[in-house]
Amino acid sequence: MRPSRTSYPLSWRLMDAVEAIAASVWPRSFSAAVPWLMLMPAAVLVGLLVLGLWDMADGSFRTLDTATFLPSDDYSLANYDRAFTEKLFFTVASRSLIGSLIVTAITLVFAFPYSYVMVRTRSAALRKFLLIALFLPFFIGQVVRAYGWLIILGSQGMVNEALGLVGVAPIRLLYNYPAVLFGLVQYMLPFAVLMLAPALTAIPEEMESAAGSLGANWVRTFIHVVLPLAKPGFIGAGLVVMTLSLTDFAIPAILGGGSQDFIANAIYDQFFRTSDQGMGATLALLLVAVGSIMVGVVFALFGAGTLAMGRSK
Amino acid sequence: MTGPSKPFLNLGRRRFLQGVGLAGAAGLVGMPFGRAFAAEPEKPKEIIVRAWGGSWVDSLKKGVSDPFTEATGIAVRHDLTEDNEIQPKVWAAVAQKRVPPIHINWDTTTNATKSALRGVTEDLSDLSNLANVTELAKPVGLDGYPIVNTYGYVYVLAYRPSAFPDGAPKSWKDLLDPKLKGRIALYNDGIGFHFPAQVAGGGKLEDIPDNMQAAWDFIAKIKEQEPLLGEDPDFTAWFQKGEIDAACTISTNAREAKANGVDIAWTVPEEGAKYDTDGLWIPKGLPENELYWAKQYINFAITKDAQQVWLDGLGLPGVVPGVNPPADLVGDPSYPTTEADFKKLIRISSKVQVEHESEWFGKFKEIMQG
Amino acid sequence: MVFDGVHAVRDATFDLERGRFLTILGPSGSGKTTLLRMIAGFGRPTSGEVFINGLAVGSVPPHRRSIGMVFQKLALFPHMTAAENVAFPLRMRRFDARTIPDRVHRYLDLVKLGKLGDRRIHELSGGQQQRVAIARALVFEPDLLLLDEPLAALDRKLREEMQLEFRRIQRELDVTTINVTHDQREALVVSDEIIVMDHGRIQQKARPEATYRQPKNAFVANFIGVTNFIDGVVASVDGDLIAFERSGLAGRPGNGFRPAAGVSARGALRAEQIRIGGGRETLGDVDTVFGGTVTDAIFEGERVVYEVAVPDLGGTTLRVFDHDPVAHNQHDVGSTVALGWNVKDVLVFGD
Repeated sequence: MRPSRTSYPLSWRLMDAVEAIAASVWPRSFSAAVPWLMLMPAAVLVGLLVLGLWDMADGSFRTLDTATFLPSDDYSLANYDRAFTEKLFFTVASRSLIGSLIVTAITLVFAFPYSYVMVRTRSAALRKFLLIALFLPFFIGQVVRAYGWLIILGSQGMVNEALGLVGVAPIRLLYNYPAVLFGLVQYMLPFAVLMLAPALTAIPEEMESAAGSLGANWVRTFIHVVLPLAKPGFIGAGLVVMTLSLTDFAIPAILGGGSQDFIANAIYDQFFRTSDQGMGATLALLLVAVGSIMVGVVFALFGAGTLAMGRSK
Repeated sequence: MTGPSKPFLNLGRRRFLQGVGLAGAAGLVGMPFGRAFAAEPEKPKEIIVRAWGGSWVDSLKKGVSDPFTEATGIAVRHDLTEDNEIQPKVWAAVAQKRVPPIHINWDTTTNATKSALRGVTEDLSDLSNLANVTELAKPVGLDGYPIVNTYGYVYVLAYRPSAFPDGAPKSWKDLLDPKLKGRIALYNDGIGFHFPAQVAGGGKLEDIPDNMQAAWDFIAKIKEQEPLLGEDPDFTAWFQKGEIDAACTISTNAREAKANGVDIAWTVPEEGAKYDTDGLWIPKGLPENELYWAKQYINFAITKDAQQVWLDGLGLPGVVPGVNPPADLVGDPSYPTTEADFKKLIRISSKVQVEHESEWFGKFKEIMQG
Repeated sequence: MVFDGVHAVRDATFDLERGRFLTILGPSGSGKTTLLRMIAGFGRPTSGEVFINGLAVGSVPPHRRSIGMVFQKLALFPHMTAAENVAFPLRMRRFDARTIPDRVHRYLDLVKLGKLGDRRIHELSGGQQQRVAIARALVFEPDLLLLDEPLAALDRKLREEMQLEFRRIQRELDVTTINVTHDQREALVVSDEIIVMDHGRIQQKARPEATYRQPKNAFVANFIGVTNFIDGVVASVDGDLIAFERSGLAGRPGNGFRPAAGVSARGALRAEQIRIGGGRETLGDVDTVFGGTVTDAIFEGERVVYEVAVPDLGGTTLRVFDHDPVAHNQHDVGSTVALGWNVKDVLVFGD
């Protein structure tokens, strides 16, 4: 049957018109260039980042002259020498590294059951509740949340008040390493759940039934089937949590009481407190290097997980 | 905050011009008084003053900026970027020969000295009202007036009287009392504490900066007390929330906590307390006319009238003789006026401070972060 | 084995002898998969009980039941090789580690994958994956093998090949098997017995041939094969002969149906039991003949399917298979034809 004029919907004709205009502006023969054109904004951003890194690399080889507060004209490795020999930097760096590993481990342990229930529950209401509880913190900034913990965990905060009711004297819950780690775990949990959930969704429920029928109880099903299949999610979530905690600034600054600095706090001090931009640049570059190495090691050992790109085989 | 604002709302152009006229008469401005107005450079719409927020900027606005606007018609915008963060921006602007983002920086003398050493500050020696200020206004160890100090302040030992039933602490060593463990606070870079610590640790002030082992030993002992480390707003908040009982902090913060209803007192212990200054300076690279009016702003800030209102708000002693202290601070150790008051305070040249600050901060952090 | 259930499965009591191949056949939503999952232990019946070897297993979790299952989507473990998949149940069930490689090998040989044990799952073809799944379900010698429509996703040729493989392996091992499918051909080909289910109820349980030739009710008759239904009112019942009013149609009782005169009923007649010709004389030996008009002729290769409107049957359209290999398409649409069949092939069911 020949389509009559009237059976050709208005919206189709509009689309035809749009396509015609697009074709005159951007001839079809240019179409191969379209993907590149769309890459442009990202390329510009990455380019700027590289320029900034280059600038910082230059700065990191110059020392600060405190008589003139100008960076030296000549290059030296003095800043790097300080970074590797001064106890302060070693303390702060090892605290950040160990902290990020602990936070990653705890966060993954907490995030897994949450994601699992969210993905597997048959109750739509429970799933919605878990999703909302997950997304809500995203609308509350990191700094605000940290201040929230000050209110809850402070010497006159809710927790200590509750303890007071049962006759326990106020305990210092804040301004120590565990408080920083606690704040980081709380901050990272939604990221980890969001990275894990798609990986768990991708495991067919039938896999778990199959493991059951083949003789595995739930523990062994978890160890031999769910865990290996969720590995990409664990790697993706782990990398995100690890790099974000390693480079975090606000939580150590606010919940650490000043004595629990992470690397980012030390960098801030160099840039803004002692005005030593060369040293700040050195620490920043070392942080980039350490983070990249950690990511590289994980990639080499376990693959890229859900962060792996490209077409699958 | 506490200033008698009424007269200043009536301050009017005539009285302001009298101040400028005085300067002209003293011959410190390049041109005679009459011609200054005939050839007065073109007025900018506004000038931008970097300031600290809260009661700090409120006081500045009431005491200096508003009367200045009223007298000249030039609006004053307050930029509340952190002092630490505006510094690299100004430095970068000067290095790249751009117009700097602010006209006037209200800065600690230490930080300002860094900028002066770097050569990004305009010389302010030709301000007419410098004829009437005390020697506190002159930055120590620098040529001319790259900065004009506008008031001094003391890093006092602030304490909660209920935690000290036997009366005010007499020595910084009292902070080592085991019952104060986890209940004391210092600045997170140790600023204000290094020098009294040198004395408390048995060292001599003359050995600064060459031998500060006494200070580090004392700070290491303080570390065992697990102090909280913070910045200005933290101290007020910590006193209010009952987190701490004692702190080494600028008296203004303690006074603010007290104004908020917390029972707080402060003292200068026997070892002394660090005395330092804040000041105003102008970055290089401003157009000629804007530089002129920025200078007029600073010139006005060191008049007695401006200081009276501005510093009433801050509760700090100014650099013009005859400014009356706020009623609650008469005879207070944090508001030194007499020779005897100043003898209890420790003042180290800004130049020595900025040259070694990074090293001192590093050492302090190394002890505290360990 | 006895089973009682409700809702998705309402009334599903049946038993199965050791070593038999039973197929549960039904449309989607008939409850057959639910029934299978309950047998496997993935869902507990609200009432009723499953017995295996005479023991109630209702409270036994899946991993303690001796049941091998091949899943709809196979559920092979992608992070393991074929051999590791087959070894999985042996490791989980704590077989002697020394015997495992040997046994895995034997079962891979059984499913003709002897050389492909080291391949990862995604390196195997669809048919090979089926074989791994079968080997994995059988390697621990379960009391019962469950097949949950594992062939549904395969193309027809591979599906038919695998149906015969299932049959061969089941006979070779003599393992009691329950297969679930909606494919009637598969049910007929592979099974010793067929259960037809609908709406959670068992409609019929019989050997394949009996299911096809003696359907117990109109649903079964309709679900298996292509069946014409002719509605009418019973005029008389004379022994095994039921005559309809007006049309003169007659048939014999389906499943012992004994209606009284005046009751409405339907005659069921399979498409391949109707002969079609240009005139009565071409139909051969038949005892019932009707005239009609061809409304559609569908060429299906080995046969032609005619749709014929029959005025004397109230305008009912009958579907007729014509397997005549000599002269395809001899009746054009619109032509007048004669249809013939025998009374014994018309089964009469209640409405």
